[in-house]
Amino acid sequence: MHEMGVAAEVRRIARESVADRGPGRITRVRLAVGDLAAIEPELLAYAWDALVAGTPEEGAALDVDWRPAKQTCRVCGDLPGRAPGTWLRLCPRCGGVLRVTGGDDLDVLTVVFEEDDAQRREQGGAG
Amino acid sequence: MTEVDVKQKVLAANAAAAAGLRETFARAGTLVVNLISSPGSGKTTLLEKTIAALKGSLRLGGLEGDIATERDAERLRRTGIPARQILTGGSCHLDARQVERALAEEGGRLSNLDVLFIENVGNLICPTGYDLGEDFKVVLLSVTEGEDKPFKYPAIFARAAVTVVTKIDLLPYVAFDLAAVRDQVASLAPEGRLVEVSATTGAGMDAWLSILTGALAKKRAAVGATR
Repeated sequence: MHEMGVAAEVRRIARESVADRGPGRITRVRLAVGDLAAIEPELLAYAWDALVAGTPEEGAALDVDWRPAKQTCRVCGDLPGRAPGTWLRLCPRCGGVLRVTGGDDLDVLTVVFEEDDAQRREQGGAG
Repeated sequence: MTEVDVKQKVLAANAAAAAGLRETFARAGTLVVNLISSPGSGKTTLLEKTIAALKGSLRLGGLEGDIATERDAERLRRTGIPARQILTGGSCHLDARQVERALAEEGGRLSNLDVLFIENVGNLICPTGYDLGEDFKVVLLSVTEGEDKPFKYPAIFARAAVTVVTKIDLLPYVAFDLAAVRDQVASLAPEGRLVEVSATTGAGMDAWLSILTGALAKKRAAVGATR
């Protein structure tokens, strides 16, 4: 279960990306996760909730864009998407060796930051 | 409310550390092998026998990842090579920064090696995603574990350059379909190598050792070419 470590790294990156924005809180983080990134969606959601509980990010949503791996057969060409976890690297049609590309994404895409306007005004309206 | 564009790799910090390690290992001409398997499949025992066979001609070292205890590093040290334990304290895998730190703390003892063996924490899932600057990953599967492991844990079997089926001396006593494992591994890693060994009887060890010495020769040739 390395999803906790991944979740912690996601939050570190998210915090860093809004560090210069003044008072406010992170309400949403969007991640890209590839089929082959060895991430269990349920475990990641669970780890995220446990991680942010009782912290300034409590309640922040973690959205995941799943990115498929592309499988190409030398003979049959591109194969239509196969279910995640379908790792067979032989072509289901001709038995040839498949080339697998992509699907190893694990990126923080965007962070939604909600400014704390009240606190901003208190601090003199900067930002 | 502001949506901030980030576009940053989650494992960027690990990737950067791994790239640094890979450069260091390349300069030293050290072959680095990252061994991954479930607990109890025989990583340490395979290493003990491998070290016994190679230490006369090669400078070897080991890094041992475990959640707790110094036991595995002690076992390697008893074979007469330098070895260091990395205690992850609950974490289920090694990461590149832990390797970096361990090597730095060992100073000269684990540098300028011919082969560095990194034995990862016993786990078939989490270590898969963490690059340690190794030349290749090796996955072990013992015949007592059941033959469906490659399809159950496809990520590691697809990414490992070498699959080692261990404890084959026990084949007469267990229902383990070796042919099924060969088929699964071939479909997950068509370009990968598969060896079948018994550290106890020595069966198959030559094939395993020749993969290591072959890879080392290739690495040295590459290092020589850039000098």
